[in-house]
Amino acid sequence: MAAQGRIVWVSGPAVKADGMSDAKMYETVTVGNSKLVGEVIRLTGDVAFIQVYESTSGLKPGEPVVGTGNPLSVLLGPGIIGQLYDGIQRPLRELSKASGSFIGRGITTSAVDMTKKYHFVPTASNGDEVSAGNIIGTVQETDLIEHSIMLPPDHAGGKLSNLVSEGDYDLETVLATTEKDGQSIEVKMYHKWPVRKPRPYNKRYDPTVPLLTGQRVIDTFFPIAKGGTGSIPGAFGTGKTVTLHQIAKWADSQVVVYIGCGERGNEMTEVLVEFPHLKDPRSGKPLMDRTVLVANTSNMPVAAREASIYTGVTIAEYYRDMGKDVVLVADSTSRWAESLREMSGRLEEMPAEEGYPSYLASRLAEFYERAGRVQAVGSPERDGSVTLIGAVSPSGGDFTEPVTTHTMRFIKTFWALDAKLAYSRHYPSINWMNSYSGYLADIAKWWSENISEDWFSIRSETYGILQREDTLKEIVRLLGPEALPDEEKLILEVARMVKIALLQQNSFDDVDTYCSPEKQFKLMKLCVDFYNQGQQALKEGAALSDIRELGVVSSLLKARMDVKDDEMPKLAQLDKDMQEQFKSISGVKVSN
Amino acid sequence: MTAEGGVQYSKIAEIKGPLVVVDDVENAAFDELVEIETTEGERRLGKVLEVGNGKAIVQVFEGTTGLSISGTKAKFVGKVMEMPVSKEVLGRVFDGLGKPKDGLPDPIADKFVDINGEPMNPEQREYPKDFIQTGVSVIDGLMTLVRGQKLPIFSGSGMSHNLLAAQIARQASVVGTQDDFAVVFAAIGVQYSEAEYFRRSLEESGALKRSVLFLNTADDPAIERIITPRVALTVAEYLAFDLGMHVLVVITDMTNYAEALREISAAREEVPGRKGYPGYLYTDLSTLYERAGKLNGRKGSVTQVPILSMPSDDITHPIPDLTGYITEGQIVVGRDLFRQGVYPPINILMSLSRLMKDGIGEGSTREDHSEVSNQVYDAYSRAQEVRALAGIVGKAGLTEIDLKYMDVGDTFEKEFLSQATDENRTIEETLALMWKIVSKLPKNEITKIKDKYVEQYYKEE
Amino acid sequence: MGQLHPLASNSALESTIDKILKNTEQDILASIKSGLDDSQQNLDDAIPKLEGEYDKIISDGKKEADKIEKQIIGSADIQARNQQLMALEEAVDKVFTKALDQIANTDRSGDYSNLIKTLIEEATQILGTTEISISTNAKDKDIVQSALSQFSGAELSSETIECLGGIKVKSKDGAMTFDNTIDARIERLKPLIRKDIAAKFGVGN
Repeated sequence: MAAQGRIVWVSGPAVKADGMSDAKMYETVTVGNSKLVGEVIRLTGDVAFIQVYESTSGLKPGEPVVGTGNPLSVLLGPGIIGQLYDGIQRPLRELSKASGSFIGRGITTSAVDMTKKYHFVPTASNGDEVSAGNIIGTVQETDLIEHSIMLPPDHAGGKLSNLVSEGDYDLETVLATTEKDGQSIEVKMYHKWPVRKPRPYNKRYDPTVPLLTGQRVIDTFFPIAKGGTGSIPGAFGTGKTVTLHQIAKWADSQVVVYIGCGERGNEMTEVLVEFPHLKDPRSGKPLMDRTVLVANTSNMPVAAREASIYTGVTIAEYYRDMGKDVVLVADSTSRWAESLREMSGRLEEMPAEEGYPSYLASRLAEFYERAGRVQAVGSPERDGSVTLIGAVSPSGGDFTEPVTTHTMRFIKTFWALDAKLAYSRHYPSINWMNSYSGYLADIAKWWSENISEDWFSIRSETYGILQREDTLKEIVRLLGPEALPDEEKLILEVARMVKIALLQQNSFDDVDTYCSPEKQFKLMKLCVDFYNQGQQALKEGAALSDIRELGVVSSLLKARMDVKDDEMPKLAQLDKDMQEQFKSISGVKVSN
Repeated sequence: MTAEGGVQYSKIAEIKGPLVVVDDVENAAFDELVEIETTEGERRLGKVLEVGNGKAIVQVFEGTTGLSISGTKAKFVGKVMEMPVSKEVLGRVFDGLGKPKDGLPDPIADKFVDINGEPMNPEQREYPKDFIQTGVSVIDGLMTLVRGQKLPIFSGSGMSHNLLAAQIARQASVVGTQDDFAVVFAAIGVQYSEAEYFRRSLEESGALKRSVLFLNTADDPAIERIITPRVALTVAEYLAFDLGMHVLVVITDMTNYAEALREISAAREEVPGRKGYPGYLYTDLSTLYERAGKLNGRKGSVTQVPILSMPSDDITHPIPDLTGYITEGQIVVGRDLFRQGVYPPINILMSLSRLMKDGIGEGSTREDHSEVSNQVYDAYSRAQEVRALAGIVGKAGLTEIDLKYMDVGDTFEKEFLSQATDENRTIEETLALMWKIVSKLPKNEITKIKDKYVEQYYKEE
Repeated sequence: MGQLHPLASNSALESTIDKILKNTEQDILASIKSGLDDSQQNLDDAIPKLEGEYDKIISDGKKEADKIEKQIIGSADIQARNQQLMALEEAVDKVFTKALDQIANTDRSGDYSNLIKTLIEEATQILGTTEISISTNAKDKDIVQSALSQFSGAELSSETIECLGGIKVKSKDGAMTFDNTIDARIERLKPLIRKDIAAKFGVGN
């Protein structure tokens, strides 16, 4: 029995309705004569407190509120990839058909095209005993995505019958039925799942495989693992969004879910315009064929901002359950936290730090806990992962504010963006002293097996140079560079080289935007070799200025842009040139 | 618009700050426009902030001064606040609520538009990429403005931001498709002289007939400031998306807007966020800034240059901070340069245009633009480091290359950054000056520019 | 003293003077020449400078003239347009006054009493009560009085109000008022009516 109540109070996105004793917590309701979508977030007596996902302008006390009986859910089936959804999974393209260039209200649409036919290939057989999560067949969703049709995770199981043969079917076609205890359940290409309930899995694995993003400062210095969690906090103008876009573009995952949560409209447009033209470096197919966008831009209703995060992560889990690696990028979790704060304020809850509700930490923990590399429910056996990367927009760039500090408790990779680096146009402005990765030890094995046994030691050596530079800089600041002996001046030189040749990366340069793991390692090794040969040359009497002016220096600094991923021999040549040039100056000086 | 239909209520429960609480209200809607009548028969406008349980909380734009519990009446008009728009608004001057201030009648409306606007569907946006030549080197060269962008000027009290905004408005209007250009100017709580300077500047360039002015000056009611940018943007959207014009919206000063918002929040006894500003300041500001843009299949564009003065020149203050998170970059006016008498005194290292990358390059400015601008940024940033170092160890402690960077810093400020307020430089002139700066460095210091461009444009003196 | 001092001899003196003169002449000539050259140079230098100055004066003047021209044309444009707006408004007002006159003097029989009924009905619906007090002008008092029978709880206020016609309704507790006079209704419609009239004058669309 659906609840039928009446509005008694309206204030912004918050509405109270009485006569709602039949309503359930987190049930979706339609609000007012224009049938706005809302969700029950508190029940007191027969009064329901509702957050409304659309603008409440013009809403009046006395207008009806009707329950739907269902919690806020997403529709999961083929057709999701390539879409741009609002926070409650309404396709924005469909909304524009109903209301033009601006977003209207009270529009109901279907999340995917229910009439589109997909070519279904059964992989199970009639008579099979099936259970929740079992794959009964596949359809090709996009060029890149083979979409498994699974029994829903809460399916009772039973004997599979009436399975259709291979052919083209739309989403509403009954593909099979399951029979158990005289009960028959229909199986279609899609099912629904409540967004606030994590989808179940069989077991979790330790994250040991790196998620390669093609960004040197991430992959080489502060890596994240598939199924891991990462956070990227930074003041405005530090290049947060560009970095997230880079990850969404180049991460070696099969599916990318990008949530624009309370951010700029043009940023979503940029993804929409750019991704269809960009090619996945591994498959050569358009990136849009693996991407789902969820957008609640900053000027869209604030309550849907809260929902957008859950909508996105539920979609990510669904593709994970097919055995895929999924990356979810949320820009920005701070805006999501603010939407919690705003609703909490309207509910007149007791605020904790900076007005945020006391449950902020637990909500963040719940969200990041939905990451992981898992074995999915059902057969055949398959492993998938959800990697969660959340941007944080600390007010005033202050990392001690509540959202940043709480987030740091629940994530393992921390990419601290630095306004000073951004001001000097060092991009990505990830500060190498304040950032960290908890996955370094876990994924070192992968690098040593796939790229080079020396990876870990070379990386440590490179990082060591940066650390020593950091200490030396203090001295320079007080006494000037001339106060340092040549060996230490060389450290400064090489640190500068590491910063320009490795840490900096130009995402707008065709070559530099993506860097293969091999190239990352080779560039890093060249810097370390330069350092070691330089120290040796100094010992043998070479002058620092000679080392500085070696022809190889400027080639090395520009190699990231000049050498394409498939031109590795050029780097080998650079290595050879370097050795010869060092020999030449050492020789000259010794004879002097 | 005066008398509207709707029920008038006379039971006022409470008046506090800018708010009036009306009792026994049966039929009011959230956000509805309210007409308040004082004992003397004066009419003021307001809107419903909260309604329910027989009460309506009304925010009065013109303030509550002189209102009394017994004599005040509130009429709920039955619709949200609207602005009459038509082509005839061009060349007109309005007050902060959108009522004529130039002695002329109300514009004859082509239509009446909800001043709150509706959010643009991101799927329907057209990505901004058309270069706007402002004729100001530092902007065109290093923080390029594009049509449909929102690029604020972060300034501080007493600095030359208004001069700069006026120069942009004048010069940006004379290139490209001149007829389709319009300027919408919204003054929020600024001094009369500042608003007048802007008006005169538009008049002198002959752009006044293509401009619309909304003036809420320092002595006008504070709460009215909530409305001023909204009526201005409503008109801008109409000119852009109904009439196909390229509209440049200059709003000054957003800090006064945020303060009005804080006043209302305090009167409602809401839990404050940072520095007493309401927790929804970000969302509220975005409903203004996000009204910039271009739309698929429509000719015009809305470009915003909001100006805000940073309290105590503090860029981490909530107003510039939240603005920076929403806008597509920022132009930061620096106190040091201003004191040295540099105009425009822009701190380029803190400034940025996010949409620049798509507005420049082959076909719009020049193929080397992006790289040479990266190098100029890098060089100036190094120059600043060297200057700081020189302050400690003296020039004698600097290396030869450090001295070159010092020279770069000086050339940059004297020849490139500095510009007269009526000097309109072409993009070619601007790029030539940038190469002049870069050419002061030895070639092996040039790490951000491809060799082929260096060969083509590098000129050692 | 057999030998004279060379300068004692006239010829020697002459030749010396000659020599001196010659040297001086050359010096003078040279200095005249160099002076000439200098002044020529100065002149040469001055010409472009002067031309520059001249150009600058001209271009400044031109700029200033441009500015003034733009300003004059711009403000003339606006002024012309504004006069047009004022003229239009005047015309609109005239039409309005005339219309109001007509309404004020319309026949109060037949349809008019139906109009009054509709106005009262609308007001009671909006106020949500029939416990109301109705005011009207002196002219319409009787018509309103006769319509009242259909609205139980409604009564006619003894005080009359200034208006063209129609009614003003107040809830009996005095908390709510609804103005449904013809004046108020016209006022509400005025922006739309203005647009219609303006369109007839060929302004707007």
